[in-house]
Amino acid sequence: MARYFKRKRYCRFTAEGVTQIDYKDINTLKNYVSESGKIVPSRISGTNARYQRQLSTAIKRARYLALIPYCDAH
Amino acid sequence: MRHYEIVFLVHPDQSEQVPAMIERYQSQITGNGGTVHRLEDWGRRLLAYPINKIHKAHYVLMNIECDAETLKQLTDGFRFNDAVIRNLVVKMNEAVTEPSPLLKSKEEEDARDSQQSSRDDSSDKKQESTAEA
Repeated sequence: MARYFKRKRYCRFTAEGVTQIDYKDINTLKNYVSESGKIVPSRISGTNARYQRQLSTAIKRARYLALIPYCDAH
Repeated sequence: MRHYEIVFLVHPDQSEQVPAMIERYQSQITGNGGTVHRLEDWGRRLLAYPINKIHKAHYVLMNIECDAETLKQLTDGFRFNDAVIRNLVVKMNEAVTEPSPLLKSKEEEDARDSQQSSRDDSSDKKQESTAEA
């Protein structure tokens, strides 16, 4: 009954034709990290599998360099 | 010869040593026939989480082209240097020379901060003008 309107998901990286997701681009990465610091699954964000793999390595590198947090409990 | 991207974090107390360290690494790379394609000093940044009870660190980014021998010297140098808190080495396919998005955003922020004071004045004026209207 309570079916709210769901916007069509699309992969922003495919739309923009990104060649490589950069781990230094924190502003982009932050869009794909939840409030608690988890990586947002592609089923929610709509990212293509190829870019989701790149995204996960990029986020993990950024975490290692303390550019983005691992979790919100720090 | 391969392309590498190196990021290392220096202890904030040893921040003054950074230019000397960069100089040393650069001479080490070029001395062994390599090249430095990009060198960025991001300065002291707030860490997303504390490392060894430190909340700030000095970030340096280098895109270099060198052989395995030189890279080993560099990474060994990082390991035995107490000032280097963390380092990341990534293999790259080609030389990257344009400024990184992080440095770009930082520069924009700096520009915004410098504009802030002048913009405050202008916003005050705008409010006055709307009040008059």
